[in-house]
Amino acid sequence: MPVDVYNSSTVSGDASVSSSGNQNPPPKFTVKKKRSLPGMPDPDAEVIALSPKTLMATNRFVCEICNKGFQRDQNLQLHRRGHNLPWKIRQRSSKEVKKRVYVCPEPTCVHHDPSRALGDLTGIKKHFCRKHGEKKWKCDKCSKKYAVQSDWKAHSKICGTREYKCDCGTLFSRRDSFITHRAFCDTLAEESAKVQTDPSSEPDPKVMAVESSPPPALQPTPPPVSAPAPLEVQVSASALPQSTSAMTSSVMPIQSSELAEDPSSVVEEAPPPAGLNGSCSGGVSSVSNGSSSSSSSVFVSLFASSTASVSLQPPAFTSLIRAMGPPDCPADLAPSTSIEPISLCLSTSHGSSTFGNAGQERQQYVPPQQPAMSATALLQKAAQMGAAASNASLLRGLGVVSSSSSAPRENLQWGQRQVEPNNASVAAGLGFGIPCDGSSGLKELMMGTPVFGPKQTTLDFLGLGVAASGSPNGGLSALITSIGSGLDVAAATASSGGGDFKDIKEIMTWETINCTGYSVAEEHNGDI
Amino acid sequence: MWVLNNVASTVGDTNQRLTSWFLRALISRASRICPTAMNFNGGSMFRRRLMTVTELAGYVDLIPWHRFGFCASNSAIFKAVEGCTKVHILDFSITHCIQWPTLIDALAKRPEGPPSLRITVPSCRPQVPPLLNMSKKEVGLRLANFAKFRDVPFEFHVKDDDPCLSNESFVVLFESLLTHLTRSELDLREDEALVINCQNWLRYLSDETKLNSAHNISLRDAFLDIIKGLNPRITVVVDDDSDLTAPSLSSRITTCFNYLWIPFDTLETFLPKDSSQRLEFESDNSHKIENIIGFEEFQRIERLESGTKLSQRMKNAGFFNLPFCEDTINEVKSLLYEHASGWGMKREEDTMVLTWKGHNSVFATAWASTELED
Repeated sequence: MPVDVYNSSTVSGDASVSSSGNQNPPPKFTVKKKRSLPGMPDPDAEVIALSPKTLMATNRFVCEICNKGFQRDQNLQLHRRGHNLPWKIRQRSSKEVKKRVYVCPEPTCVHHDPSRALGDLTGIKKHFCRKHGEKKWKCDKCSKKYAVQSDWKAHSKICGTREYKCDCGTLFSRRDSFITHRAFCDTLAEESAKVQTDPSSEPDPKVMAVESSPPPALQPTPPPVSAPAPLEVQVSASALPQSTSAMTSSVMPIQSSELAEDPSSVVEEAPPPAGLNGSCSGGVSSVSNGSSSSSSSVFVSLFASSTASVSLQPPAFTSLIRAMGPPDCPADLAPSTSIEPISLCLSTSHGSSTFGNAGQERQQYVPPQQPAMSATALLQKAAQMGAAASNASLLRGLGVVSSSSSAPRENLQWGQRQVEPNNASVAAGLGFGIPCDGSSGLKELMMGTPVFGPKQTTLDFLGLGVAASGSPNGGLSALITSIGSGLDVAAATASSGGGDFKDIKEIMTWETINCTGYSVAEEHNGDI
Repeated sequence: MWVLNNVASTVGDTNQRLTSWFLRALISRASRICPTAMNFNGGSMFRRRLMTVTELAGYVDLIPWHRFGFCASNSAIFKAVEGCTKVHILDFSITHCIQWPTLIDALAKRPEGPPSLRITVPSCRPQVPPLLNMSKKEVGLRLANFAKFRDVPFEFHVKDDDPCLSNESFVVLFESLLTHLTRSELDLREDEALVINCQNWLRYLSDETKLNSAHNISLRDAFLDIIKGLNPRITVVVDDDSDLTAPSLSSRITTCFNYLWIPFDTLETFLPKDSSQRLEFESDNSHKIENIIGFEEFQRIERLESGTKLSQRMKNAGFFNLPFCEDTINEVKSLLYEHASGWGMKREEDTMVLTWKGHNSVFATAWASTELED
């Protein structure tokens, strides 16, 4: 009974046990492989037996002048032209060329027999290498080794390219490993535990979860930190009972890319994004209380992910969310409340005392009542403000973010106002449009409060950073544009029906919070 | 090595023999690879590593040792239940149902739709690695969850033993369990395709004839008889391909040494010497060493027999060999292709054998309880 041997190290070696010893075309045996059995040569072919040395020799054609080796005679001849040597390129002869077949020099090999010779010189070279050669080429991603360089290259191309990703973030190159892991993975168990209508598929689970989470999916208990996606979802769901402004949604696209990233990586960048996000979310939430859109969640999640103190988030979040939740106060109030907690959560490492300070500082601003200004106008103003008013620009940025077309003016003006008293907080917060001096500006903006953790980083929101000074407008515009018409700050503020002042105050609150990372909320709430 | 063996008493107490084995194992490792700082303590019967289920999933994927059996069995099972709308699997294995997600996945993708699937596991399991930090019920819950996720109707049962026996040894528990393996107790249903999955299991059933039993039949054979009586559609048996039942210790040592070199060597090729995964895997395998070498009589529970011997046993019990089809073979080949070169497979008569550098390591076989009609 024939023994079928499969050796995974051999690419081509399928063995048909019997082979005839003569040159007559032997009967074709049914083989498992689709392609015809290799080594059934034309009986009239000339059999060439090369020694291993000759077979393995590369660059057999050597230039006599410079000793450069070539694999083909044609190439050598062309090279010789360069030396002004006589050269001759042999044309393919018109007469019938006798077919050549090659045998493997290894005596134990099945292809050593002339009846099993291979018809191609390159083929026999590769065969010899693969089966009888040393495996010098090793894939650096897995443990596979190859004797033929082209095999190795071909493998390297596909190694690790087909990857499966579990919700928990682990990558798999093999489907069966992935399936087995996924079946037992904690993330699947959690998913089923939640009332999720949309079981996320493997790619981009977090983003999808965020985008598709329905508002009602409120979950009071914070999900484990290891599952950022659910956290985001929940936050969004609970965070904004009222309609979220379009701004939030539009912001989401910006954020979502970050979201989709491994949250841990975002955490690394924590300081600046935290600040920025804080401000943004603050703005968003203030603007769009009720929206439970994922965008807000995106923000929140961004915060979450970007916050260094991840562990701080969940409990803080939920409580904050809850605080935000009940819209018992006027719409404007709600967002500010919520924002503050969020920023509280998100801000890294700031003690409550700082909050207090911030609050006090904050209170210094007295936001004037301002008519709404278009977002673009705000941006322009922000640009005008320039480096001098670093904080102002921050405010502007914030204002832009948070205010939709309806209420930009007031924000802007507010921002202007803010320039004098309270640079630090604002500037620190957004960093975009703040062309200036990065950390130094921030520092001074901070009003000496050292708690502002992430100074330099805050500038990186939207990648603007300090370098954004060149085009603060651009950055802001981009943001604004993305936020687009969705921005409904005005709507939110309008809905409140309250005085503009209130809105501004809230905005300011956020920004303060965001910038400084404190939650002025507590204090401010009291005031309001 | 033999000198060492002679020096260390083969009839000495357990620790002496264990020590001699471990010393030999360490020296053999040292001669193959540089010495590492390993702390195998001789009496490590008490050191047990509990894994989480995801760790177990990774453990199984480290080398194709187990996955070979899973792949071959699942593929054979899949083929055997083609056209069936209900499938019931009796799972006797030591890998805590890690095998099933891929089968569930394959069943879910069936063009005619998935069958409804039931998996029953016995509540007793030999206390051997790999050990899990989760109860069987929890494992079942996760499996059920996954099946739901893939839209496969699913049920999971743990076949409980007599509760008053819960503190007894595995052998006693299993003997008791055997009495409960009846159609009614297992709730076997008429329209169900019954599948028996024995993975690394038969070796724990004693092959010694019990003199005090009425039938003068060993536990292993009794088990096979009962299984056959249930008339399963397919029975798959996977185990390590090595004959470690010899009464003579020295021959066992040689065989065991030669055989257990294989799993140790497989990790040698791609894990660094101080890799914790490797050390853990080796310590799990050392359990086998300890048991095979260090114990006799009832304590020696690792009684592997080779694939050929098992084949014969199955035939004696009245089973008919089900050869693996081409698709199965190709699946196994592509699985091995994804692992280090050095893994291979071959077909020997009725079995498919996983080879490492040409040495037989694990065999897989499939059996029908009646002559194939189609």
